[in-house]
Amino acid sequence: MNRAVLITPLMVLTTICLFFLIFILLGKNPNDPPSALLNKSLPIFSSTNLYDNDDTLLSDSLKGNYTLINFFASWCTPCRAEHHLFFKIQKEIPELFILGFSHKDDLGDSKKYLEEEGNPYSFVGIDRDGKIAFDFGVFGLPETFIINKDGEIIFKHTGPLTKKIIDDEISILF
Amino acid sequence: MISLIGFSALCLSSIFSCIVLIPKSILQIKIKYFLFFIRSSTFLVCLSFLSLIFAYVTSDFSNFNVFQNSHSEKPLIYKITGAWGNHEGSILLWVCMISIYGFIYSLLSKSLDSFKILVLKIQSSLFIIFCFFIIFTSNPFLVNSVIVEEGLGLNPILQDPALAIHPPMLYLGYVGFSLVFSLAIASLLKTESDQMWVLETQKWSIISWGFLTAGIALGSYWAYYELGWGGWWFWDPVENISLMPWIAGLALVHSLLMIKGEQAIQRWIVFLSILCFSLSILGTFLVRSGILTSVHSFAADASRGLFILLIFFVTTGFGFLVFLIKSPTKKNDLNLLLINKTSALIINNILMMIAVLTILIGTIYPIIIEVLTNTRISVGGPYFNSTVLPILLPGFLLMSVAPVLSWQTNKIKKFRVYVICFLILSLIITIQSYLTTFNPWGLIGLLLGSWIIVGSLISVILRYKFSFTSKYIKSINSFTAHIGVGVMIIGVTYSSVYQKEFNFNMQIGDEITIENQLLKFDEIKIVDQENYQSLRAVFSLINNNGIISYIDPGKNYYPVSKMITTEAGIYHAWLKDIYITLGSETDNQWFIKVYINPLVSFIWIGVFIMIFASIVAVIKK
Repeated sequence: MNRAVLITPLMVLTTICLFFLIFILLGKNPNDPPSALLNKSLPIFSSTNLYDNDDTLLSDSLKGNYTLINFFASWCTPCRAEHHLFFKIQKEIPELFILGFSHKDDLGDSKKYLEEEGNPYSFVGIDRDGKIAFDFGVFGLPETFIINKDGEIIFKHTGPLTKKIIDDEISILF
Repeated sequence: MISLIGFSALCLSSIFSCIVLIPKSILQIKIKYFLFFIRSSTFLVCLSFLSLIFAYVTSDFSNFNVFQNSHSEKPLIYKITGAWGNHEGSILLWVCMISIYGFIYSLLSKSLDSFKILVLKIQSSLFIIFCFFIIFTSNPFLVNSVIVEEGLGLNPILQDPALAIHPPMLYLGYVGFSLVFSLAIASLLKTESDQMWVLETQKWSIISWGFLTAGIALGSYWAYYELGWGGWWFWDPVENISLMPWIAGLALVHSLLMIKGEQAIQRWIVFLSILCFSLSILGTFLVRSGILTSVHSFAADASRGLFILLIFFVTTGFGFLVFLIKSPTKKNDLNLLLINKTSALIINNILMMIAVLTILIGTIYPIIIEVLTNTRISVGGPYFNSTVLPILLPGFLLMSVAPVLSWQTNKIKKFRVYVICFLILSLIITIQSYLTTFNPWGLIGLLLGSWIIVGSLISVILRYKFSFTSKYIKSINSFTAHIGVGVMIIGVTYSSVYQKEFNFNMQIGDEITIENQLLKFDEIKIVDQENYQSLRAVFSLINNNGIISYIDPGKNYYPVSKMITTEAGIYHAWLKDIYITLGSETDNQWFIKVYINPLVSFIWIGVFIMIFASIVAVIKK
């Protein structure tokens, strides 16, 4: 066997590593698995208004409008981090209906949380037992969905939103 | 406190390993002290890992790693397995195993002292590299900066008995190749002409390969009943990268047989040894860096990717560089005849290498394409099925007769018996598949699988006199292993080609008939378990004689991590599995998928036979 053959493994190795290196440096992240719910219709639910026991919101009534759905709780620290961004969204996309779900939270605590942080939501629904979140396949708080006019889920994000996500992924939907 | 002990033990252990590496010219260490340092290092790293387990068991949330991955309400067993159910802990386990392999080698090796020291030095270097990786980028002993009373919980998908032992098994396989690697490099660097290393490589590569087989099979079995997709192998990138060292290891084990024919093709063996370990690190790198999307993406972290890439490049590059510079020069004249054993083994090796390359290309192709064109593609089952399988087919055909081929001559004893049996078998199977549902792949798979079994049995009967002794079992061991493969091929063929899938919408009380059996939807049960809430749809499977079994597919809801997992309900029988997954509910109608998976049990039986054969092969030495 001559040296050319022996040197092949080294060259193959270098090439492969080079591609990996570029791949990592480019900051590609294939680990945002698209949600299984993406492009599917939104689950059926009904929820009571946090501020008014007689006011109920049905999932069907969301059709015809773009809706952002955000699951939050007063005990969830990352929710606090993203909270102010909903005011930004509200300002930038005024036609968007922003629906918040108080998830497995004490109602008093939720109200206090919204007093402290401000209330960007068009409607705050109660999801006391987490059943709605269950139907949405919520992985962990906070989690945000966007529904189009036909009631299909077109965006999903687990974890706190950031400015970058809003600019790169949400704004372009409108 | 316990975190501090763990971390100190880890640091001390790597320092001990560093001492071992001091060159002779600076400090002459006696072999007695050398071994003392090696063994103390192993002891310390085990202590470090045990203290991590201890932190998990006592739910010590002052440890950041425990806080992130555990919860006080978890059952004890998952608290323990939680220790390696995350990146940091699993790398610590990996490092621990590198050291343990070195430790056991230092106890068992019968090589010359100088060679032993060389191997252990290389093993220690690998150990140190990974230790640095832990200490600098993935420390499991970080202190939690917030005082908390509760942890965040372990990914519910990982709370499963099969998965609890799947990573350690897989790692025992991967890491075992580190010792094979060390042996190969040492054999290149050594000055004596001692051939002991070939025998040692043989033993350790079989051990690693056996563990790897068990690890892959466990992962596959877990995917079968946990993921609810009705199959057991998905050509997922992570499955592929565990398959590559497995095949390369298989090639290595077979190449090492050529020593029996006194034709040690050293260069090739060394190359394969290096390749096996580099493929193992590649696997770890791809999983840990999160470069590939897969069912394992929960273990991912892109920021550590660079470090592991560096480790991968340095270790593999070093291996191949030594291979280039110090390549064995011994001339071997291979005794290549048309159909002797050496030729068969070389054909086998070539096929396996092509298979490894094909899988490698398919696995990293998406990365290359994304770098070059910035579009994301994924390479899936159809590619692998249509490329890898045809490559392996000729190898399967060869397998049944290969062990009886002669080293020196071109003749097979009683060749006529084989030909006649093969023709009869082909005839029977062709008629059988013509009368049932004909499928070309089904026919080929069944023919090859049964031919391997029948051919091996004929060989055993013709060549060895039956007796109930361990000697007999040892001498027919290679046939046993091949029979295992044959059984597995039949299982793989049937369960993939003849799988049937039915979809239903059912209400409680509904009945359906599937293949002469009645499936009745009895009830929906919701039960609170220790750490999750389970929803089960109970079905009873009924035939003419009454109820055979209950099948309960469902979902689990884990409140701590707020996750839902699918649990398939499986009725296992020897000849077919009835596999049910539960979908969503609308208006009291449940969506139900029923799979009939014929002969799946053969796959697991085949795997058991192969593992059994590798155990026998190790004991034999």
